[in-house]
Amino acid sequence: MRVKVNYRGQELDLELGEKTSRARDVLRALGLSREYAFVVRDDEVLEENEPIREGDYLRVINAISGGYI
Amino acid sequence: MVYLSQHRLSLCKEHYIEWYLKRVESTIREFKMFGRGDKVLVAVSGGKDSLSLWDALCRLGYTADGLYMDLGIGEYSQKSKKACENFAQKKGLRLHVLELKKEIASIPEIKEVERNRPACSLCGLLKRYYMNRFAKEGGYEVIATGHNLDDESATLLSNVLSWNVDYLSRQFPVLLEGDGFVRKVKPLVKFTEKENALYAFLSGIEYIEEECPFSEGASSIEYKKILTQMEEKSPGTKLRFYMDFLRRLHPILQSQEVKLRPCEVCGEPTTAEVCSVCRLKERVIPRLLSSSPSS
Repeated sequence: MRVKVNYRGQELDLELGEKTSRARDVLRALGLSREYAFVVRDDEVLEENEPIREGDYLRVINAISGGYI
Repeated sequence: MVYLSQHRLSLCKEHYIEWYLKRVESTIREFKMFGRGDKVLVAVSGGKDSLSLWDALCRLGYTADGLYMDLGIGEYSQKSKKACENFAQKKGLRLHVLELKKEIASIPEIKEVERNRPACSLCGLLKRYYMNRFAKEGGYEVIATGHNLDDESATLLSNVLSWNVDYLSRQFPVLLEGDGFVRKVKPLVKFTEKENALYAFLSGIEYIEEECPFSEGASSIEYKKILTQMEEKSPGTKLRFYMDFLRRLHPILQSQEVKLRPCEVCGEPTTAEVCSVCRLKERVIPRLLSSSPSS
């Protein structure tokens, strides 16, 4: 499943697994923890469990700060 | 819907904002930070925490102006300043901008002279100094900063790992006024970075996500990652670690009596005869003038 992700100003093409993907899989694919990151679709904050659809345009917000990575 | 694991709460947008504002208010009350008659100066950086703080204080009916310090760090400073200006304009709020270059020099310029000292150390010293002076000159009763639970618990962990008793005794959401210092408060200490980011997002606050280029290698993020791992396994760990420290350990820590007096040059509080900022100026300004193209 392919989705487009806007993350920290970058437009990324993300390849997720074959089976149904959830919002938490998007975070995992980016190496982010649900403790400080969340997924947005159409201005809605998605719950971790929320299914992701093929071709979705998502925005990932990573809240952790305090060091230039 | 927003799910907050450490509180076992699921909230829709309107109720999340309501929950957030109520919690800011109760934190202000719990620590007696300030009242509605006080003039609050919010230190804003253009990031999610400080802008969320400013936004929340205004929605709660407090008199809060913003102070942005332009540190002269290229594009980073330009973008963060713009974010503060746009926010202030959109909400009809007063934003003060202080340019470090006008007071002493930009951070990159100071770093050219003070090579062995980390930029963060210089930056922290100068921000606190100029914020304090500005607050006094402007008649502000209190300075509010956007420090959050992740910041404070990481700082706490760092101080505990090296048993920095002096710092531990001074780690508190309210630092009372006195000796030439304006009161300093941290109304967002109970909120995680994610909770602040959610508030900013749901409230339509446009903030910058970039980090300062000088902060590469800062250790605070390592502490945050460690605490995050523990929090994932046991939600509520960070809040308990920090809040129980404040309630149970902080009261029994005695801080060493520090003798403060006015600096002979500028009058700001210091333990020495001349304060560290005036001494920094003495070192930096002549070097920058002598290396400038016109001389």
